[in-house]
Amino acid sequence: MENFSEVMSLFLSVDNFIAIAVGVLIGVVVGAIPGLTATMAVALALPFTFSLEPVTAILLLVGIYKGGMYGGSITAILIRTPGSPASACTLLDGYPMAQQGKAKKALKTALYSSVVADVISNVALIFFAAYLAKIALNFGPPEYFWLICFSLTIIVSVSGSSVVKGLIAAFLGIIVSTIGLDAVYGTQRLTFDNYNLMDRVSFIPLLIGLFAIPEVIDFYTSKVAPHIRTAVTGASLTWQEFKASLKTIIRGSVIGVIIGAIPGTGATSAAFISYSEAKRTSPRKDNFGKGEVEGVAAAEAGNNGVAGATLIPLLSLGIPGDVITAIILGAFMIHGLTPGPVLFQENLTLVYALFCGILVSSVVLLVVGNAAIKYFSLIADIPKTILLPIVLMFCIYGAYAVNNSTFDIGLMLAFGILGFVFNRTGIAAAPFLIGFILGPMFEDNLRRTILISKGDPSVFFRGPITWVFVLLTVASLAFAVRRYWVTRN
Amino acid sequence: MISTSTKLFKSAVVAAVASVTLAMTGVAHGEEWPSDNIRLVVPYSAGGTTDLLSRKVADLLQKELTTVVVENRPGAGSTVATAQLARGGRGSDHMLVMASPGHTIGASIYPNLRYDPVEDFVFIRNVIDIPNVMVVPASSPYNSVEEFVAAAREGQLSFSSPGIGSSIHMSGELFKNLTQTNLIHVPFRGSGEALPALLAGDVDVAFENMPTVYPHIQSGKLKALAVTTAERSEFLPEVPALQEVGAEFGLGDYVTSAWFGLIAHKSFPEEAQAKLGAALEKIVESKNFKSFLPQFGAVAGKEVGDEFRAFVADELEKWAEVAEQANLKR
Amino acid sequence: MAISENQIADAPATHYGRLNPNTIVGAAFFILALVFLYYIIPNYISSPPFMQHPLLSPKFLPQVAGWSVLVLSLVLMVSGLRVPPEREPGDELRRGVSVIRQGLMVAAGVVYAFFFEQLGAIGSGVLACVLLFLASGLRNPLIYLLAAAFPVLVTLLFIYLLNVPLPAGELWEAWF
Repeated sequence: MENFSEVMSLFLSVDNFIAIAVGVLIGVVVGAIPGLTATMAVALALPFTFSLEPVTAILLLVGIYKGGMYGGSITAILIRTPGSPASACTLLDGYPMAQQGKAKKALKTALYSSVVADVISNVALIFFAAYLAKIALNFGPPEYFWLICFSLTIIVSVSGSSVVKGLIAAFLGIIVSTIGLDAVYGTQRLTFDNYNLMDRVSFIPLLIGLFAIPEVIDFYTSKVAPHIRTAVTGASLTWQEFKASLKTIIRGSVIGVIIGAIPGTGATSAAFISYSEAKRTSPRKDNFGKGEVEGVAAAEAGNNGVAGATLIPLLSLGIPGDVITAIILGAFMIHGLTPGPVLFQENLTLVYALFCGILVSSVVLLVVGNAAIKYFSLIADIPKTILLPIVLMFCIYGAYAVNNSTFDIGLMLAFGILGFVFNRTGIAAAPFLIGFILGPMFEDNLRRTILISKGDPSVFFRGPITWVFVLLTVASLAFAVRRYWVTRN
Repeated sequence: MISTSTKLFKSAVVAAVASVTLAMTGVAHGEEWPSDNIRLVVPYSAGGTTDLLSRKVADLLQKELTTVVVENRPGAGSTVATAQLARGGRGSDHMLVMASPGHTIGASIYPNLRYDPVEDFVFIRNVIDIPNVMVVPASSPYNSVEEFVAAAREGQLSFSSPGIGSSIHMSGELFKNLTQTNLIHVPFRGSGEALPALLAGDVDVAFENMPTVYPHIQSGKLKALAVTTAERSEFLPEVPALQEVGAEFGLGDYVTSAWFGLIAHKSFPEEAQAKLGAALEKIVESKNFKSFLPQFGAVAGKEVGDEFRAFVADELEKWAEVAEQANLKR
Repeated sequence: MAISENQIADAPATHYGRLNPNTIVGAAFFILALVFLYYIIPNYISSPPFMQHPLLSPKFLPQVAGWSVLVLSLVLMVSGLRVPPEREPGDELRRGVSVIRQGLMVAAGVVYAFFFEQLGAIGSGVLACVLLFLASGLRNPLIYLLAAAFPVLVTLLFIYLLNVPLPAGELWEAWF
């Protein structure tokens, strides 16, 4: 009880609440701006936290992180411009819903599934951190390798009308992902001696190029169509629909938590795996990709489930799972704290104060998110003739700002043209994105496994985790093949 | 407690607003340097160690001189930002780059560099030094550098790094060359990915930055065999320097560290060099900075001006040779 | 998917002929994959002199991906020849779009892609917005005021609020 009062005295300060509110708000707004990611916002906010109390500083950053995770979905749904990589999955059903005049429903679905997933993720962080951290530590290169193989099978479910075309897109994405210096030998791959290609192709220009720019090109290569009002019209999410999606949301959250607890896998994979699972088990499989509420719910639950869980390896092991948690680790260190077992021994009250703040952030997300929907949905009232030039401008500025490089602008426009060609020929862009993200992970972990095996291939099947993912991969493939035969005949 | 932190929060907001208004009105046009905002270019993406340290230095520098705008320009192992600095041109008298081992390693690895990494720059000061630590997993049978080298000469052992061309990778390659062992390099993407493999014993050794491994050494999950600086580190006083225990294996000259220092274009005015040097001196001596360093297991950099240039030239020679031997030279 | 020859003959307007997107895309990717496998990989991916294992080769994954695209594009091409796909309803909107409209869009793209640093974020933003408004034939002068105001506003937002520097424009810098 004495501890309890200490925790409360650390947590109950006006600053903490301001920090959470400001953080979530910044996150939502920045996340919603194309090209500006939560990662960038967290990095840029870091210097301002130098002078804050440690708990306040970290809650501000965590707030931005969570807000950003959700904010990315707003513009993905409204204008097909994913604010963050993970929301590329939300777009698959969110944007069609908006086109059908159900923008409000899509946005609310995204928000409620985000908040539910966030709460589940936080609870997992608080109660199962020690256990999940143990699993994370058991993930070596062979385990990652099979996890990635399993993740690759989701390509089938996001391929749209044609699996063959989806697979082509995925392999093209893999080819693009190999551009740059080779990770093991440092030799040049497809760089054509261009300095700008020595590192890998930047993610944000590719993402915006692939999804947002085709909309612009499409608009200017068609006759001016009458404006569809998407925002104010349309019903909200009904309780019935929410209840129907709840199973999907919870499943997505759990997937997010597991993926989040394993360092270096990421919210984008979680969103897509959750989406693919939802589609596989849904009775309305064919409606996925055409504006299915459950599709939006699954994607958002998956990516927000990650947020709290990435703090698990960070707090309990001192291992940052992604760039954002690496920055938060920096914030801890600047304030003289070292995440890891030592933190739980020496600063337990601080850890619990943080947990309280993180729980509060879910509630704040609900409030801020609702307000954001109200104001951001005004975007959809702007006629496309005015909106699209401004969207394009944001995309250009955002693409430039990632690396302060005009090369990235050209790259984004080039991917825009590719995305447009994909649209016109019925090739889904999502598999390309998945190939681009998972390709390098597949290759890296294959090679790492070979390197650590010292010539003994049995390392690929060294423990129960590898077998679990081998079986999941095989099952997932078998299921896809069976479904293919059923639909053919 | 609450009221002071509220004050701090307010002052942070005020400072942010002030810097904005200051930047918008533009600083008065005097003849004295700095007559404009200083641009501090970080050659890596936002959020990394270099970025973090640069923003701290910028924050402190801002209080001494004028508004410092931090700009991230990552690419090709820091050489894109450095090439931009080397080109010079308008505004280069207010532009700085936070150089790090990537400055010399990048120059050793990347082809057709369009600048000379030593001659084309003015070297202001090395600001921060972070030692690397040779660590093995707790489960490792090796308890000393001697045992490790003996085993590495017998069989195939592996070392991890956060990526090819990082100072951590090159430290391993240097170790491999000097000890004539056949270590296998297992590259990861970032220390966050590399660390679990090391903790789990999937790789045998790493030459990681102090702040990354320090908590795990303390909690007993990793064993520190040696530090890579010339002298022992104050953070791990009981751990020997590689030089002192490794002389018989050819490690007598083995010194590596992650250093972070400011460089400018070769036309950088002398007046500015003096002013900047004085400001940095003040910062390095300040309480704020001294209390900041231990969080990163770091010490203040010592090399100033030409001393710093000579240090970088030495580094360049060392890494060029390692890159050659490791077949990384393009 | 399965449509008999009969149906195709019945509804010629709703279906493509043998020369349809699938055959064209399939053929295009088939050729591109061949170029990639036999020209680009050998010339633009260098292998190290020594490798511990053939699977470690920098060429391995690109080759796997290249061959997969080759095979899949062949499948696509053959299926396109056998079963021509349906026409999409949106195609009608694409007929007879004025060249000026498309040209102005390309011009806006060129402004951003090649003159961003010279014109600066504000300059290129204003110019591109004006070009795109013209492309849609907007006549209201107030809207063009918006084209001027928005880039300024957004640039200031990026630079001062978000601390993200954008180029001021080399052309104008020389004047100050």
